[in-house]
Amino acid sequence: MNDHTSRQFDVEMEAIRSGVLTMGGLVERQLARAIGALEQEEDSALLDAVGADEREINQFQVDIDQQCAQIIARRQPAAVDLRMILTVSKVVNDLERIGDEVKKIAYKSAQARGNDALRRVRYYDVVRAARHAQKMLRMALDAIARLDAASAAEIVDLDDEIDAAFSAIMRQLISYMMEDARTITPALEIIFIAKSIERIGDHAKNIAEAVVQVVKGKDVRHASADQIRAQIAGP
Amino acid sequence: MQIQLSRHADAHSSKTPPAKAPVKIAIRGLDFHYGRFHALKNVSLDIGEREVTAFIGPSGCGKSTLLRTMNRMYSLYPGQRASGEVLFNGGNVLDADTNLNLLRARIGMVFQKPTPFPMSIRDNVAFGVRLYENLSARAMDERVEWALTKAALWDEAKDKLSQSGMALSGGQQQRLCIARAVAVQPDVLLLDEPTSALDPISTAKIEELITELKRDYTIAIVTHNMQQAARVSDHTAYMYLGEVVEFGATDALFFRPARKETEDYITGRFG
Repeated sequence: MNDHTSRQFDVEMEAIRSGVLTMGGLVERQLARAIGALEQEEDSALLDAVGADEREINQFQVDIDQQCAQIIARRQPAAVDLRMILTVSKVVNDLERIGDEVKKIAYKSAQARGNDALRRVRYYDVVRAARHAQKMLRMALDAIARLDAASAAEIVDLDDEIDAAFSAIMRQLISYMMEDARTITPALEIIFIAKSIERIGDHAKNIAEAVVQVVKGKDVRHASADQIRAQIAGP
Repeated sequence: MQIQLSRHADAHSSKTPPAKAPVKIAIRGLDFHYGRFHALKNVSLDIGEREVTAFIGPSGCGKSTLLRTMNRMYSLYPGQRASGEVLFNGGNVLDADTNLNLLRARIGMVFQKPTPFPMSIRDNVAFGVRLYENLSARAMDERVEWALTKAALWDEAKDKLSQSGMALSGGQQQRLCIARAVAVQPDVLLLDEPTSALDPISTAKIEELITELKRDYTIAIVTHNMQQAARVSDHTAYMYLGEVVEFGATDALFFRPARKETEDYITGRFG
């Protein structure tokens, strides 16, 4: 993409682009910490760090949204610039929501104790789903950084897998709860964690779809992975 | 060609896709020369009836020239020649036997700078009507009121119809010029940078007026203000070096232009 005649316009666009990537990096770090909290029994320092990350992420959301509003007000952007700003504004919302979910995962993991069967679900199935969500988030952020629409369909595929993993965890936990009522409280905590992981996948998918909007100018929300592939292949 | 005085559209077959409305003016293979300078190169596009078609592009791209071929305004100047077809109401505007007075009554024009005649507001509006129609004094008064109302100037001008048109503000003068163009009940209005000399409020009034006039008239507008094209037009043509680079629905062209050249221009990455 060529530079704008107005250099200041370039500076402003670069600021929101790099801002969203920095914010994404923070969310990735926060998620890594939350997975650490899942894998360990108790670590209050980790919880504090996750909470601090979340506050920083919130501030990024407010600041970047403000910058987007300023560019719209001052520059009346069109075409790729307008699509970029709309996308950034959506992506910061998704990243902020991911931050919220990550915080929930970390805090709930401190409460989700239980018997050996539940520990196995928590340490194996839930952590695996969380790593899956982590991969989706990384791919979505890469897609923004490189303005690469091609990976969007792949991210949607991964989201289907995470949804399936969530259903599997649910089924297991329901069977434990039916067998032993004492597992209900910790099992519910684990279900909340799994649900948060599933939501992170949804937000990563939203980000990937928003990247398609910038690059191709096409709205692929609510489309299947195959439909997205067809859209990306088009002009 | 025979220019018909009727206002009904002619059914031209459309070669270019964007216009869903019936085609009002069909331009085919139009070339234009200023002396040896080739100002328009094989331009073909359709102007949809009762739509606003905007022409944007950098200075010297040929957009004003294109507008001026539609009512043969260039015929006023020596050394300028057009070839190709500008099909309107069943004939080619470029034909040598076109009656230019009738043509310009059917295809009116408003220029960048307001050009009121040095006469009263009433006479400014009635001037063109008298050339084509023989109206009674009462019918003429009605026509003047109708045209000034169409141009959203009636409320401001009704108490001073006998005052000079030159005494109005710039924005009012431009609306007076629009009233003058509308008064002869044309089919098409050509607007050449109609707001570039006006303040933002007058500009907003003219833009509002364009949207109103679209119900009855086909409008072609040349503008340097891209946001204006985005606001008022149904279709937009981006021109560069005498060629139409991209022509399409305004919604699409400003959000997802098909050509990189268009994107560079509308996003301010040009030159």
